[in-house]
Amino acid sequence: MLFSSITFLYFFLPTVFILYGIASIKQDITWRNLVLWVMSCLFYAWGEPVYLFLMLAQILVVYGLTYLMEKKRESVAGKVCFALSVLIPFASLFYFKYTGFFMNTLTSWLPWPESWVKYAKGITLPIGISFYTFQLTSYCIDVWRGRVKLQKNLLSLMTYVALFPQLIAGPIVRYSDIDRELSKRKTTKEDVAEGIVRFSIGLGKKVLIANVLGEFVAEVVAPEVRGLALSWGYAAAVSLQIYFDFSGYSDMAIGLGRMFGFHFPENFHYPFISGSLTEFWRRWHMTLGGWFRDYVYIPMGGNRVKKVRWFFNLLTVWFLTGLWHGAGWNFIIWGLFFAFFLIIEKEFGKRAEGKRSLIGRMLGHVYVLLAILISFLIFHAENMEIALRDIKAMLPGASLDRAQLENASFMLRNRFGILLIAVIGSTPLPALLWKRVFAWLQKDVVEEIAKAVGVIVILLLSTAYLIDGSFNPFLYFRF
Amino acid sequence: MLKFIKHNIIILGFSCCITGFMLTLVFGGKQTSSVSERRKLATFPSLSVESLQDQSFMEDLEAYFLDHFPLRDGLRRIKAYFAYDVLGQLENNDIYMVNGYAGKLEYPLNETSVTRAAEKMQAIKEQYFPEGEVYYAIVPDKNYLLAEQNGYPSIDYDRLETRMQEQLKDMTYIDIWDTLSIEDYYTTDTHWRQECLEETVVRIGEKMGFSQYLTNDYERQEIAEFYGVYYGQSALPLSSEPLYYLTNETTQAATQWSLETNKTQPIHISEEEAGFDKYNIFLSGAQALQRIESPLAKTENRLIVFRDSFGSSIVPLFLEAYKEIILIDTRYISSALLGDYVDFEAKNTQVLFLYNTLLLNNSSMLK
Repeated sequence: MLFSSITFLYFFLPTVFILYGIASIKQDITWRNLVLWVMSCLFYAWGEPVYLFLMLAQILVVYGLTYLMEKKRESVAGKVCFALSVLIPFASLFYFKYTGFFMNTLTSWLPWPESWVKYAKGITLPIGISFYTFQLTSYCIDVWRGRVKLQKNLLSLMTYVALFPQLIAGPIVRYSDIDRELSKRKTTKEDVAEGIVRFSIGLGKKVLIANVLGEFVAEVVAPEVRGLALSWGYAAAVSLQIYFDFSGYSDMAIGLGRMFGFHFPENFHYPFISGSLTEFWRRWHMTLGGWFRDYVYIPMGGNRVKKVRWFFNLLTVWFLTGLWHGAGWNFIIWGLFFAFFLIIEKEFGKRAEGKRSLIGRMLGHVYVLLAILISFLIFHAENMEIALRDIKAMLPGASLDRAQLENASFMLRNRFGILLIAVIGSTPLPALLWKRVFAWLQKDVVEEIAKAVGVIVILLLSTAYLIDGSFNPFLYFRF
Repeated sequence: MLKFIKHNIIILGFSCCITGFMLTLVFGGKQTSSVSERRKLATFPSLSVESLQDQSFMEDLEAYFLDHFPLRDGLRRIKAYFAYDVLGQLENNDIYMVNGYAGKLEYPLNETSVTRAAEKMQAIKEQYFPEGEVYYAIVPDKNYLLAEQNGYPSIDYDRLETRMQEQLKDMTYIDIWDTLSIEDYYTTDTHWRQECLEETVVRIGEKMGFSQYLTNDYERQEIAEFYGVYYGQSALPLSSEPLYYLTNETTQAATQWSLETNKTQPIHISEEEAGFDKYNIFLSGAQALQRIESPLAKTENRLIVFRDSFGSSIVPLFLEAYKEIILIDTRYISSALLGDYVDFEAKNTQVLFLYNTLLLNNSSMLK
């Protein structure tokens, strides 16, 4: 089920609220968790009725294996249970997400029977499998490492994994993030109100900005007849669409979690204002970056190893980051593209740190934005050939006839407003302005009323957009 | 005051909104069709194991909610204003407004489609009337008169016309473009106004040799409130306009027979029969194959018109000159089947292809 759907906004959400409110009458948190788990299953089944059982089976397997692992911690059996608890979810992820890709890639070396290739092509990707696999495995690893206690309550573990706000598109909530809240949480009015505000901001980012940018991206003509200005506009729209789509979803997830008393980790923090790509990745999809850092990069030795090994570690992490995003070479190249720049930054950037003038800092931002635009063209394209055509169109040289120029000019003028709003909206400027205005007014009442009006306006406008159009895919669902 | 308002107003506002709409959606009255959008609204989907498994129930339910959402038209209007006035878009749902006229963006020129249309026309000629007297005219869509002049993109009409002429060398081209101005089209619809087509009809008549039979002695009949197809698509509060249709003794004596309905009826049908689209009063709207008989025609001549919806309103103005007019719309009938229904070899038969530029630019629908 999509957050940005009438079914979710006007049926599912009020129903969960009502049931959760009734369950809250009882002091025992089990009832509240039960409501959340049951509704989360319904939420998932609405989009993936069959794969619900796959997710539940994986939770049960992990529950059993971690239980045995804890019991036989010091023995070989314990180690085997640990290995299996990590391997089984990853094997499932590999099967559903990468079988077709690897068979296609290796076809030239290994002549698979035709029936195998056909079978692999028929495998469909369960929604959100990349997210819940990472959550499950982080739980297993953390229990093994002794960072968190074993969750003996099956309902709590199932609620953690299946919790609908973050189930299908993140943020990747680690068990340690909400361990306490699973067994003891209090939902205050502040939580609910702030959750509503955060959810509404996310809804607006998704429906009013990302979807409109998505329309623009879809209507833009072939790279060869775009011209320079439209090609750059297109590249900006692609990057901004991905940002608003994904950060909008994260905002909605964080807001929903807050409404039920959970405090999920932040996932985005104005990534486009970064002065380097290292900083960009500290601000973009922070929970994924953190996962790879803690469960892949550091166990491999991080940067406390010889330089060659360090490069290898970085390349491995970014290869996997790319692969996590999608089973395609463009995703792998996208990951390695960042690895290349991050290695350069880590190798040469430190020397320049602290010595950068204003112009140097500005050039740093230009470099980051340029790298981001190119990287997201690679990310967004169906394959590398299309990505290279998109990138090539950003270079001068293409000659367009008058009609093509007029068409390109119109497309850009038509969507200039949303591009401008998106650019400004991707910076801290609107939040800063809001704070300044209400600090100057010194009227908390007015701010509270303004927030409420804002929430209703966004809700109504988003509903209006949903009713009038059907362009509403969540980009990160495919991961 | 703050203590009372803080958090409560947000929670209350949001909760009232979502539960209010939910209750209205569940218990509110349901309509079966949308007049402004000219379509039937989704019905409540049937629940079954299959529809749950293939998720069609979920998709259909969302479609049902979207169609029956309270204040639907009002919300669509809000979205339109937001798109135009806040986002500064020059169009909404591809609809743009210039001086009260609504147009729908159509660009760029699809040369492959135009070529395909011309080949289709040529193939029909070669199959059914290789030696026949064949004419063709291209009806410019509204964008020709609205778009480029006002900074909107449009198809390259000169190129389209040239392409057609290059390919249809053994047909006679009737250029009607300079006989039309934007005032000759409805403000909220794609089509031209029948009452404004005198010059166009004369131009066609002169080329085809029937202008001497034409008359301008018509009485205007009025349908007071006509909302065109762009009214619903734009979602803006556009004004209605009158739709006029012209009648005289000849048109009143004429009858139309349709292959699909196998019914013979007057050439102008009633407002009720026209349904959502009042433009359908002209020859009952979209029909695959029709035969019009004009007993008061001044000749025994016969005309076969390959046409689209623009033909519905202009053809009744030819009735003084032809005893029988066959109308064929190959969007709805395969051209391969025409020989079973139409006699192409009868004496005194002329053939006219009358297609508008939108169709030529999207000719895949021609069968």
